[in-house]
Amino acid sequence: MTAETERVGTGPVGWIGHLVDSAAAFPGHYGRLLAANRTRTIVLTVLAIVALTYPIVYQQVFAPFSRNVFPLPFPDETTVTFMTIFAIMAIGLNIVAGFAGLLDLGYVAFYALGAYTSAFFASPHFGSVSIVLFANVADGFPGIHLPFWLILPLAVIIAATFGALLGAPTLRLRGDYLAIVTLGFGEIVPIFFKNLAAITFTFSIGGATIISLQNVNLTGGPLGINPIDPFIIFGIGFGATSGIAAVYFGILLTIIAIVVARNLERSRMGRAWGAIREDETAAEMMGVNTVRTKLLAFALGASFAGVAGAFQASYLGATTSDFFQFSTSILVLIMVILGGIGNIWGVLAGALALTYIDKSFLPWLGTRVQAVAPDFPNPTQFNFLIFGILLVAMMRFRPEGFLPSRQRAAELSVHGLQDAEEEMGVEVETDNISIAPHGQAETDRSAELPSEEKDL
Amino acid sequence: MRSSTTVRVIVALLVFQVVGVLAFGPEAFFQTEIIGLSNGLIFALVALGYTLVYGIIELINFAHGDVFMLGSMMAFLLIGPIFAVTGATPILLKVGIILLVLGLTMLATATLNVSIERVAYKPLRNAPKLAPLISAIGMSFVLQNVGLLLAGPGNKSIDNIFGTANVLTAFGVEGITINVQQIFVAVVTVPLLIALTWFVRTTRQGRAMRATAQDPDTAGLMGVDVNRTIAVTFLIAGLLAGAAGVVQILYNNTTVWNLGFRFGLNSFTAAVLGGIGNLQGAVLGAIVIGFVNAFSDRFLSANWTNAIVFGVLIAILVFRPTGLLGQQLADRA
Amino acid sequence: MAVGLTGSIPDDQVLVRARGVTKRFGGLLAVNNVDFDIPRTSIVSLIGPNGAGKTTFFNMITGAYTPTQGEISFDGHPIVYLKGSKVKSRKPHEVTALGIGRTFQNIRLFGTMSALDNVRAGIHVHLRSHWWDSILRTPSMLNEELDTIDAAMGLLELVGLEDRADTWARNLPYGDQRRLEIARALGTRPKLLLLDEPTAGMNASETREMTDFIRKLRTELGLTVLLIEHDMRVVMGISDRITVLDHGEVIAEGTPADVRANPKVIEAYLGRGAAEA
Repeated sequence: MTAETERVGTGPVGWIGHLVDSAAAFPGHYGRLLAANRTRTIVLTVLAIVALTYPIVYQQVFAPFSRNVFPLPFPDETTVTFMTIFAIMAIGLNIVAGFAGLLDLGYVAFYALGAYTSAFFASPHFGSVSIVLFANVADGFPGIHLPFWLILPLAVIIAATFGALLGAPTLRLRGDYLAIVTLGFGEIVPIFFKNLAAITFTFSIGGATIISLQNVNLTGGPLGINPIDPFIIFGIGFGATSGIAAVYFGILLTIIAIVVARNLERSRMGRAWGAIREDETAAEMMGVNTVRTKLLAFALGASFAGVAGAFQASYLGATTSDFFQFSTSILVLIMVILGGIGNIWGVLAGALALTYIDKSFLPWLGTRVQAVAPDFPNPTQFNFLIFGILLVAMMRFRPEGFLPSRQRAAELSVHGLQDAEEEMGVEVETDNISIAPHGQAETDRSAELPSEEKDL
Repeated sequence: MRSSTTVRVIVALLVFQVVGVLAFGPEAFFQTEIIGLSNGLIFALVALGYTLVYGIIELINFAHGDVFMLGSMMAFLLIGPIFAVTGATPILLKVGIILLVLGLTMLATATLNVSIERVAYKPLRNAPKLAPLISAIGMSFVLQNVGLLLAGPGNKSIDNIFGTANVLTAFGVEGITINVQQIFVAVVTVPLLIALTWFVRTTRQGRAMRATAQDPDTAGLMGVDVNRTIAVTFLIAGLLAGAAGVVQILYNNTTVWNLGFRFGLNSFTAAVLGGIGNLQGAVLGAIVIGFVNAFSDRFLSANWTNAIVFGVLIAILVFRPTGLLGQQLADRA
Repeated sequence: MAVGLTGSIPDDQVLVRARGVTKRFGGLLAVNNVDFDIPRTSIVSLIGPNGAGKTTFFNMITGAYTPTQGEISFDGHPIVYLKGSKVKSRKPHEVTALGIGRTFQNIRLFGTMSALDNVRAGIHVHLRSHWWDSILRTPSMLNEELDTIDAAMGLLELVGLEDRADTWARNLPYGDQRRLEIARALGTRPKLLLLDEPTAGMNASETREMTDFIRKLRTELGLTVLLIEHDMRVVMGISDRITVLDHGEVIAEGTPADVRANPKVIEAYLGRGAAEA
C-alpha cells in the first residue's frame, strides 16, 4: 500500500496537480515496488505487456497459424474481449462478496440490466420513436440511439439502483438466507426479460380505458433484441466485427474497473466493509452505518456488472434473455473464489483463467476430441461438470482461493491463516487457532442483539 | 402441530375453497386443486429432504433436487428401456415392478446422498458457514451434468402405464377428473410421510436426530453418534428423494436433466414456507406450493410460475423467516 | 425509581439521563424501571451480581437494544424516546456519532485488520469523505486520510501501542487487545466512554495501569466514564459514584463508602452466595 505522505492542495487544481505528481513519481514508485516484491511486480508487468500486445500478436501470428497449420488453444479476439467483460464482473462481485462479505448468488441480474440498457437505448428496438443523440446514426432513424458515453453511465445508474433495491431486503439476513434471496432475484430478473415479449394488458376504470397494451414487445424475450449499435468513438467501431479495437476498449474498461476497485478498497469505504465483514455488530457500534454501507456495496458492485453487460451487448450487437442464467452468476462466483477472494489481482486472474477455459480451451479440446473420438461427449457442453467439481474441491482444500487477500485467507482456513501470518513475518501459532471471529459476516436474525453478551 | 394452528390451517383451507369456487367456478377450481395436491405431495417428499438436512446441520442442500432428478432418471431407465412396462402389462406384474423400482431407486439415491455428504459436506463441518453451501452448489452442477451425460439434453419419456380412466366417473361426478396416477401419488407418498413421522417421533434414531438438531455438541456428549446421525438423516432424505423420483416419472411420464431445478426450487420454498426444520411444515408448505404452481399454470401462465415461487421464497425469508409453523425439528417433529 | 443522586443534579451537569428504563425479553424482565443520571466528567461504576442487567443496560444506552419502556437522553439529545405510544431508540451508529463509545466484555476487535486500521475504523464515524471521493481520490479524501492516520497514531500512542500499529489485532497479546479496544473507542471522539469489564483477566499490575489510564481519560481528555466492573478494588478505587443493580433494579446508588456499607448491597452479593464470574 502506498501511503501518501504529503498533503494535497484542495480543489480541482489540487487534484490535477496531485495526479501529475503521481504520474511523475511513478518510476520511483515502480522501483520501490520492484525492490519490495520482485516476483509479483515482474509478473504483473509481464502480464500488462502481454495484455497490451496480445491482440496484435494474435491477429498477425496465431490466427493465421491456427487457420493454416494447426489449431492453437490460444484465445481469439472474441474470447479476449469476453475475458475483459468477465474480469470487470469478477472485480465487481469481489466488492460485494470479497470486500463486504455478502454472498451474492444473483449477480447475473445486473449483467442483464446492463445489456438491456444497451439494447433499449442504442438500437432500433423502440421503432415507434426516434431519438438520436450524438450517435453515429442518421437523424430520424427509428429507435433510441445514445452514444457509448451516455450508455455506460446509464448502465451504471440502472444497475446500481437495482443493486440497492435488490440488496435492501437482505440487510437483516444471515449469510445463507442472504445468498438465497439474491439467488431469487437473480432468477426473477431474467424471467422478466424473457416474458415481457408479448405484453397484452388492459387497465380500465369504469368504461374508460386507461392503459391498453396489445402484444407489446418490450424485451424481445428469447428471440432478443438485435441489432444493437456498437460503441463508436471517433468513427472507430468497437463491435465484434471491427477487429481488435473492441479488445482494447475492453482492456481499457478493465483497467478503469481495477482502479476504481482499488481506490475503494484503500479508503474509508473499504475499511468500513472490512469491519462489517469481520463483526457487523461491533462495526455498527463504532459508528459505521451498516445499512448504508451494505447498500453501497451492492450498488457499487452491481454497477460493474452493468458496465460489463452494456459493453457485451454492444459488442455482440444483440442480446437475448437466454444469455442470462443462474450458471453465469455461479461462473463469476467461481472466478472470485478460485482466483482469490478479496484480492483484486486474484479475481482478475480467476476471471482470465476461467473465461479462457470456458470459451477457448474447452472448445479447442472439444474439436481435438471430436477429431479423435467422435462419440465421446463434448467437453464444451460439460463445462459446468468441471466447474462443479472445481467448486467442491476448492471448498474442501482451498476455500480462500489461490491468491486471496490476506484477511480473507486468514478468515477462511487454517492454512490460509498460516500463509498470511508467514507473509507478515508473524510467528505462526499452531495451537488454539480459531478461524472464524465471532459475528463474522453473519447477522443475527434479531438484528439488535449483540451475539456475545452473556451477562444480562 | 398445536391444535390452534391446526384449527387455523383448516379454517384457511375452507375459506380458500369458498373463495376459489366463487372466483374460478367449481370444476376449474377443484380440478386445479387436484393437480396441485398431486404435485404438492411429490414436492413434499423432496421438501422433507431439505428440511431434515437443514434441521440437523443448518445446510441448504442445493444438490438435493438433483438427487431427486437422478432418482427419476433411474426409474425412467428401469420402467422404460429395461423392464418395458406399458399400459398393457398385467396389473400384478405392474405392481410388482413398481415396488421393485421403488426399492432399487430409493436404495440408489439413499446411497448417493450419503456419499455426497461424506465427500462434500462432512469435511466442511468446521469450515465457515458458507463453504458447505458453495460446495452444495458445485455438487448440484456435477449431478446435473451426470444426468446430462446419461440422458442427453432432451426430455426422456415413458408410456403412461396407468391409463387415462377417470376414477370419479364411477361415483357419477362430472367435469372433474381424478385419474389413477393421482391416486398412485397419494398411495405412495402418504404412507411414506406417516412412516417418517413415526420414525422421527418414536425410534431411538429419531430421537438422536432431534437431539442433534437442537445441539450437536451436547448430543455428542450425551452419547449420540453425531456423525452417524447425520449420515442417517441424509440416508432418509435420499430415500424420500428416490421415492419422489419414481412417483414423478410415473405421474408426469417425463424426466430431463434439469428437472431438479424446478423441483428443488418448489420443494425448498415449500420447506421454508412451512418453517425450515419442521416436518409437518414441509408437508403443509409443499401442498401450498403445489397449489401455487397449479393455479399459476392454469390461470396465469406457466412462464411466470417460477418467478412467483421465487417471489414467495423471497417474501418468506425477508418477512417471516420462521415460516408458517415456525418451529425447529428439535421441538416438534 | 430515583435513588441517591439521581434526580438531584442540575440539568446542564447531566450527561446521561435515563428514566424508567425497562427491558423485557419475552418472559424475562432483564431491566426493571431503572432511573440513572451520569454527571459530566464523572467516573461511574455499574455493579451487581451476574445476570443483574448491567450489560443489557449498556446495550440500551448505545442503541443496540430498544427498551420496552423508558426514556434516555444523552447530552441533551434524546436517544430513547416515545413516538406515539411506541418506544423508539436511535440506531447504534447514530448514538456513536453523538458521542458515546464503548468496549466489549469479550473483546470484539477486527481481528484481521491492523491495530492502526482498527483505530481508523473507530474514527470512521467522523469522516466526511463519500464513496465518490474515495473512487476519485480527491484532495479532500487524501488529506482526510492523512489526518486520520495522524489521529489514529496519536491514539495508539496514548494507549502505548504505537509500536504495534501494523500488527493484526488478533496477534496482539490480551492486555494490548484491551487497550486497543479502548483506543478504537476513543477514535469515535466520545464524550461518554462505556467500558465493559476493562480489567477482566488482568493481573494486579495491569489492573493498576488500566485504572490509572481510566483516570487519565477523565483528567486529560475530559471524558465521562461508565464502567461495568467486577473487581471491587477497581470499583472502590476509581469511582465517583457507584450504582448497584440486582435483578434488573437499582438497589443502591452513592459514593463508594455509601455503597460498601449498604446492607442491601451486601445481601445481594453475599446473601446469594454468588461467586464472581
